Amino acid sequence: MSADSSGRVLHAPPSALAGAETSATVLGWLTTVDHKRIGILYGVTGFAFFLLGGLEALLIRLQLAVPNNTVVSAQAYNALFTMHGTTMIFLAIMPFNAMFFNYMVPLLIGARDVAFPRLNALSFWIFLAGGLLLNASLLAGTPPDIGWFGYANLTSKHYAPGLGVDFWILSLQILGVSSVIAAINFIVTILNMRAPGMTMMRMPVFVWMTLVVQFLIALAFPPITVGLIYLMFDRFFGTHFYDVAAGADLHLWQHLFWIFGHPEVYILILPAFGIVSEVLPTFARKPLFGAPIVIYSGVLIGFFGFGVWSHHMFATGMGPVADSAFSIATMLIAIPTGVKIFNWVATLWGGSIRPTSAFHFAVGLVGLFTIGGLSGVMHASPPVDLQQTDSYFVVAHLHYVLIGGSLFGLFAGIYYWWPKMTGRLLGEGLGRLNFWMLFAGFNLAFFPQHYLGAIGMPRRIYTYPPDLGWNAANFASTIGAFGIGVAVLIFMVNAWRSLRRGAPAPADPWDGRTLEWRTSSPPPAHDFDAIPPVSGRDSFWREKHGPRRGAAAGVGPAEHDATVHLPAASHWPLMVGLGMLIAAVGALTHVSLVVLGILWTICAIFRLALEHHRTPEHADQTGGLGLDHRKMAMWVFLGSECFFFGTLVATYLAYKGRSVVGPEPHQILNIPITTLSTFDLLMSSLLMVLALAAVQRGDHRQARLWLFGTALFGLVFLGFQAYEFTEFVHRGFTLQQNLFGSTFFVLTGLHGTHVAIGVLWLLSLWVLALRGRLGVADAVKVEIAGLYWHFVDVVWIAIFTLVYLIP
Amino acid sequence: MSDEHRDGEHPTVGTYVRVALVLSVVTALEVGVIYVRQLAPIIVPLLLAMSAAKFALVALFFMHLRYDSRVLTLLFAGPLVLASGLAVALTTLTGAFLVFGR
Repeated sequence: MSADSSGRVLHAPPSALAGAETSATVLGWLTTVDHKRIGILYGVTGFAFFLLGGLEALLIRLQLAVPNNTVVSAQAYNALFTMHGTTMIFLAIMPFNAMFFNYMVPLLIGARDVAFPRLNALSFWIFLAGGLLLNASLLAGTPPDIGWFGYANLTSKHYAPGLGVDFWILSLQILGVSSVIAAINFIVTILNMRAPGMTMMRMPVFVWMTLVVQFLIALAFPPITVGLIYLMFDRFFGTHFYDVAAGADLHLWQHLFWIFGHPEVYILILPAFGIVSEVLPTFARKPLFGAPIVIYSGVLIGFFGFGVWSHHMFATGMGPVADSAFSIATMLIAIPTGVKIFNWVATLWGGSIRPTSAFHFAVGLVGLFTIGGLSGVMHASPPVDLQQTDSYFVVAHLHYVLIGGSLFGLFAGIYYWWPKMTGRLLGEGLGRLNFWMLFAGFNLAFFPQHYLGAIGMPRRIYTYPPDLGWNAANFASTIGAFGIGVAVLIFMVNAWRSLRRGAPAPADPWDGRTLEWRTSSPPPAHDFDAIPPVSGRDSFWREKHGPRRGAAAGVGPAEHDATVHLPAASHWPLMVGLGMLIAAVGALTHVSLVVLGILWTICAIFRLALEHHRTPEHADQTGGLGLDHRKMAMWVFLGSECFFFGTLVATYLAYKGRSVVGPEPHQILNIPITTLSTFDLLMSSLLMVLALAAVQRGDHRQARLWLFGTALFGLVFLGFQAYEFTEFVHRGFTLQQNLFGSTFFVLTGLHGTHVAIGVLWLLSLWVLALRGRLGVADAVKVEIAGLYWHFVDVVWIAIFTLVYLIP
Repeated sequence: MSDEHRDGEHPTVGTYVRVALVLSVVTALEVGVIYVRQLAPIIVPLLLAMSAAKFALVALFFMHLRYDSRVLTLLFAGPLVLASGLAVALTTLTGAFLVFGR
């Protein structure tokens, strides 16, 4: 390590970068596992989808510009608002957030990459597959036209017979897989890969908000996944989850959708809050006022976010008790949100303001989100909400949250971090023009919609008669929407000019406070020549301007790593994404493609998993908490699975006794047989721990024996299940028989699928053991397989009691 | 108990076998009690308690939560509690178990 006279670490390149990728070719981008490049891929792809969603919005506004307009048909209008909403939420704002998670989080916590770089690439390619599939519906001429919320039973085969809903279901499922994988990756990265000295409370607020968002994604996506599985089964296999004639309750979809949908609002907005919490202190040249409170507020928002979903359903008639409970919870969530606003304002108070473009957008968020927040609090009151539901007031509210909040925050982030990501400065003049055009266009587009909603204009109508008093406000709104379009064009010109001939950016152009400014712009492949020391919140600021400037107070000097291992490029993440896309296309066209896609995906997953099985650098993945990354990731995944199976079991119980035809559970379930299969699965868990113990002590013979035994017991369980299912079908009890059949077969079938995956996993380990490739160093691989296996076991313990035993 | 100390412990094979025996016995009891007419008034909480006990035994011993870092316990128990709460809410807000009248 070398140091200058002030004791700061100089940025000399490491002597060796094993496996580092530097290729700028197309193949280099297709196979990259570098978090920075993956961040850029998310950003570019998200921007392309953003333009598409924006174009759809402009068509919507053109249609509504004047009364009785005929720019598009009613059918096309329905498709436009469905695709606009779905695209902007899942394919634009979420990937923009992912861009910053990927690029900035490792830099902000002083890490060289994320915990699982190849899984990170996998998340991106699966995301792209989902995005392409959704938009392929436009090319196929059958876009979904059921709204981004897809309320049952408008999504049933009866009301939506084409492929549009199927495109929507499959693409959302694929996007969900991508999001959950990424969430697990970032939770482990943030918890386990922080630089020495960076305690949780020293983490930048953006990293904190990222952490909260990843938990929200990991826990909120499973319920909507289950809801979509039900919808898929209803449409593909004739089950009755959303079939009122069979006794179903359509509230089920709304609950499942909004259990996901409301946390999704925070998934979209909290990253913007994090960005603003970085931008404002930098340009006010003051620490964030009450930073711990801002962090606690973000955590509270995330937590309360799971308890307010039914305020989206006040108009469905849930009853006074439920209405009151969700009303109070919704009012409560306004408190931490308000706290953040006050803290940002207090940060500006008395600051030495530098009004850069990034600062403009950040302050814009504070003002505009406050308006969106205030109209949101109005929805907490059921009587008021009943007047506003399905009116343009709600359209105004949600756009003040998602454009005034999320998009302004994201633009603040883009202007703030662009120099770090590209090595070039954006034009400040064009940046401010960008801000004012967006600010004016946005307010002109959406503020009049409050008024339109208040005087009775409903959402989702494709035209209106001229004598309702809606004409002027609608026309103004359309002008404003085109103003937003012009603002986006200004940004594109600015970006283009910056990339072509922008002024080179120094490492620290804004006199920044956090670690990303401590490395070059753009950063090298390995991020930091030496892992930076962290002495407190705003560590880099203290290092530059603190009482002991020039030295990292309280910690030793950074160690300059002589050798840095960076993972090599891999094409298997791309192959997995491609396999999933083939399977999804097959589900819409021909079953042979489904089989091909699934086989392709399984093979690619195996290759991905075994790619570095014997690479010594991959053996030890112990992080800062002293825990193996893989083990921590498995526990996070199991937490997510709790929501998946919790939703399935809750549905089974909610629908118990509601079937309009028989049989009932007590007439058909075979408790003695199931007791045997339960015993078998419990004993397989015993064999699993014996296998792990054998691997840990290097006893290869015992390891092979117990691993095979566990897999065999798993196969026996599956045999019991196959027998049970066959027996039921012979007795006329099928998926389609009644609500009980639908819920029973899907719940136990999905559990059986988990067992089958576990068996495949165990047999793979057994084959490795047979080949002598499963040593003591691989014990953690057996341990995480074991955790999965035991979880499958405990889920069955719950199912056995709740489904089979409770009368 | 510190995390370092928790990490240092490992259950023995004997412990695993004893846990498996308890799991088997409780499973047998679960099946047995549903045929005892006198237990009908308390059968649901009784079955839920036995199921929860089995769940806890597997999580604590087979999944090593009793011996591993508390961070891992938190990562699992937090979502488990939240998911259970949501499941109860979902069950009471929808369908046959509707508690709050519409």
